[in-house]
Amino acid sequence: MAGALALDQHAFDTSPDPVGETVLARTRAISDGALRAKAHAIDEGHYPLEIMRDFARVGALSAHLKSAGGNFGLAIDAMRAGARQCGSTGFLMWCHGVFGLYLDHSENCGLADRMLPPHAAGETFGGTALSNPMKSFAGIEPMALKAGRVPGGYRVTGTLPWVSHIGRGQYCGAIAQVVDASGAPSHEIMFVLRCDEPVELRQCPVFSGMEGTSTWGLRLADVRIDDADLIADPAKPFIAKIRAAFILLQLGMGLGVTEGAIDSMLEVESVLGHVNQYLDNRPDEIAGELDELAGRVAKLAETPFETSTDYLIDVLDARAQASELSLRSTQSALLHQGARGYLMSAAPQRRVREAHFVAIVTPAIKHLRSEMTRLSKVAQPAGALT
Amino acid sequence: MNAGTAIPAVIEPTDGLGPWRRYICRVCGLIYDEAEGDVDSGIAPGTRFDDIPDDWECPICNVTKADFDPLVPRAAVSAPQAATPVSRTSGVVIVGAGTAGWGAAEAIRALDPATPITVVTACSGDVYYKPELSVALTRGATPSSLRRETGAQAAARLGVRLMKETVAVGLSPASGTLRTTRGTVRFSDLVLAQGARSAAPACLPAHLCWRVNDLAAWSGLHAALSCGPQRVAIVGAGMVGCELAEDLAGAGHDVTLIGIEELPLLAMLPRPAAERLAAGFSKIGVRFLGGRAVGKVERIDERLRLTLASGETVEADQIVAATGLATEPRLARSGGLAFDRGIVVDPKTMRTSAEHVYALGDCVTIGGAPCRFVEPIRGQAEAIANAILKRDHSGYAHRAPVIRLKTRSTPVVIEGAPSTAGEWRVLQDDADALVMEQWAGGARVARLAA
Repeated sequence: MAGALALDQHAFDTSPDPVGETVLARTRAISDGALRAKAHAIDEGHYPLEIMRDFARVGALSAHLKSAGGNFGLAIDAMRAGARQCGSTGFLMWCHGVFGLYLDHSENCGLADRMLPPHAAGETFGGTALSNPMKSFAGIEPMALKAGRVPGGYRVTGTLPWVSHIGRGQYCGAIAQVVDASGAPSHEIMFVLRCDEPVELRQCPVFSGMEGTSTWGLRLADVRIDDADLIADPAKPFIAKIRAAFILLQLGMGLGVTEGAIDSMLEVESVLGHVNQYLDNRPDEIAGELDELAGRVAKLAETPFETSTDYLIDVLDARAQASELSLRSTQSALLHQGARGYLMSAAPQRRVREAHFVAIVTPAIKHLRSEMTRLSKVAQPAGALT
Repeated sequence: MNAGTAIPAVIEPTDGLGPWRRYICRVCGLIYDEAEGDVDSGIAPGTRFDDIPDDWECPICNVTKADFDPLVPRAAVSAPQAATPVSRTSGVVIVGAGTAGWGAAEAIRALDPATPITVVTACSGDVYYKPELSVALTRGATPSSLRRETGAQAAARLGVRLMKETVAVGLSPASGTLRTTRGTVRFSDLVLAQGARSAAPACLPAHLCWRVNDLAAWSGLHAALSCGPQRVAIVGAGMVGCELAEDLAGAGHDVTLIGIEELPLLAMLPRPAAERLAAGFSKIGVRFLGGRAVGKVERIDERLRLTLASGETVEADQIVAATGLATEPRLARSGGLAFDRGIVVDPKTMRTSAEHVYALGDCVTIGGAPCRFVEPIRGQAEAIANAILKRDHSGYAHRAPVIRLKTRSTPVVIEGAPSTAGEWRVLQDDADALVMEQWAGGARVARLAA
């Protein structure tokens, strides 16, 4: 497999592939082969950079970038193919993909010129630390990182509890609140945080899933960030621009985990179908819902930078539905498989935990619902009773 | 944080710094209680947070002291309670709790006491009579006097489950699911009664201009006007604008009514009737500025300034946008329903383009046009109830409702269906009354009395 891929590694750059069929076929070949075989090891803590490198080589991690035609639908489908076999890897694909998105839309062209080609090619790796800032912008929690201006850059201090797809030699996109000398906040900056000295990487407690995603606590004590590493200053308008695309890309995880759950249900249909017929959420029902959702997502993926409120609500609605569908389908898959799916090495029980992650990773279902409520409200003149 | 085997005795603070305080980890939500300390990390019970060494870490997520905030308990949020226990059978789901939504619930309940009904609404679900909103200020009404029944009371009376303050965000007719901000609801039949929203243009922003389209918005305006007579500018001289102008003037406010046509309601009324209306306004002190488009609205200190396209300015304390309504397409489109300025329905069954999905009231278009009056709602609700319960019924028969303009200075009644092409004939025009008929294609299509 690896050898065959090595031969193919430049093919996607040169051969025309307008609808991404080749990218998708190759991504599926990796997912259904090497990734499927490693899914349990990844669940136990193996960080599958070798798989990520293969994905990058076939174009699975860069389909949404301008250089590949900005095909968000293909990027989501590729992520879905990965998540179908391993939710953790689907999440890594998203982490890697959104970092690419940041650079691709940064006005700091020098930064993108330096970092984006090796990132897209899977020569370097990095993720995203935007969970806290996204929640902070929604008024859910305070900003964890604070920055102070110094000549030629900023100095940043604070702690981020869990950031995935990082390690020594890797990097992530992060946001800090800039405070002036008196401690008053002025605005936010977004930057590439290089996870080398003096940034401290701290072991996280053991989670019930996602152990193979190289997730670390980050502690920054007065770490210098050069202006050359700024993705956006100020950060807020930039986040407003990429927010829908950021969330939309996550759909690949929920769709893939659900598709994997359907696989597990069908796997036992010939032997257990006579009793499984009494279960709720049978594979054909779930497949119907999945197809309907995937169709809407494909449509939304055609205009990932649309700025209307209606569009954003549609994206949040699809994201929430993907979470709910993941929860329901993986639960059902475990019930369909019974004891064999409950083995620690079995995919159904692992997928139940993966679905929990899909439902709680920012934006969690509750955040999505609260945000859709906020976006649906009509403003009233000040001083009004609500 | 538990001491394990030994249960620590409750110790009272003796350091004179007040009661024990609690601190919450911003990251994982762990609470450090000064009374309990963190025995596992060697922090004795009764250790003030300030006295914890700086290298202490959150026992759950390893962040440091700097990531803890004082715990300020928030007011408990009580989830809106369902009036009846959640039904496990999917039944009828109604979106919206205005006149149309409650009307549909009542029509179904009148035919069948058992069908499970769920009402999903973004508002409180309180029951009020919407036409009253445009005459309420003169009558000295208050939000509570307009409220006939709370949503919970109506839900209990009708035996429905009310999901209030819940936004319906997505619809999948094929799987019979409605996605809401409080979870996904299954339905065997769905009734859309979501109403219409203000279609005010961007130059009349919602944070500066009132849109009086429901009791909540009216209540806001009522509160804003409660401190005595104010200058109110109303933009839009259609039915709502004209009624509100008279109502506000009757309540003692200084009213300016701004219309795009040279006379009020000229889009609907023949000129002699519109002239009569304008004369009536002038008698009760409403200043009418016709033939004007609005350029922009800005806040200048405590006042608002409306700049008209002509360059004139109008100063006001409050501005009301009465520039018409539009149906929000998002929900219908998410379910692939046919939509043409409103949800397209079959004029007899009120069914939308999807099976088991019906719509009524302000959100629909019948024969290519919306019909935003209260009168047809009862008949529409009955037709829907009968269709859902599969009873024999002749269906809804749409006809133009009688229009009564609630302007006491010049009451106007229109019967029939006035058309833009017809010819108006004056039957009577004197100090007592104006009576006109409209004829089109050799037939009388409408009659007007003012």
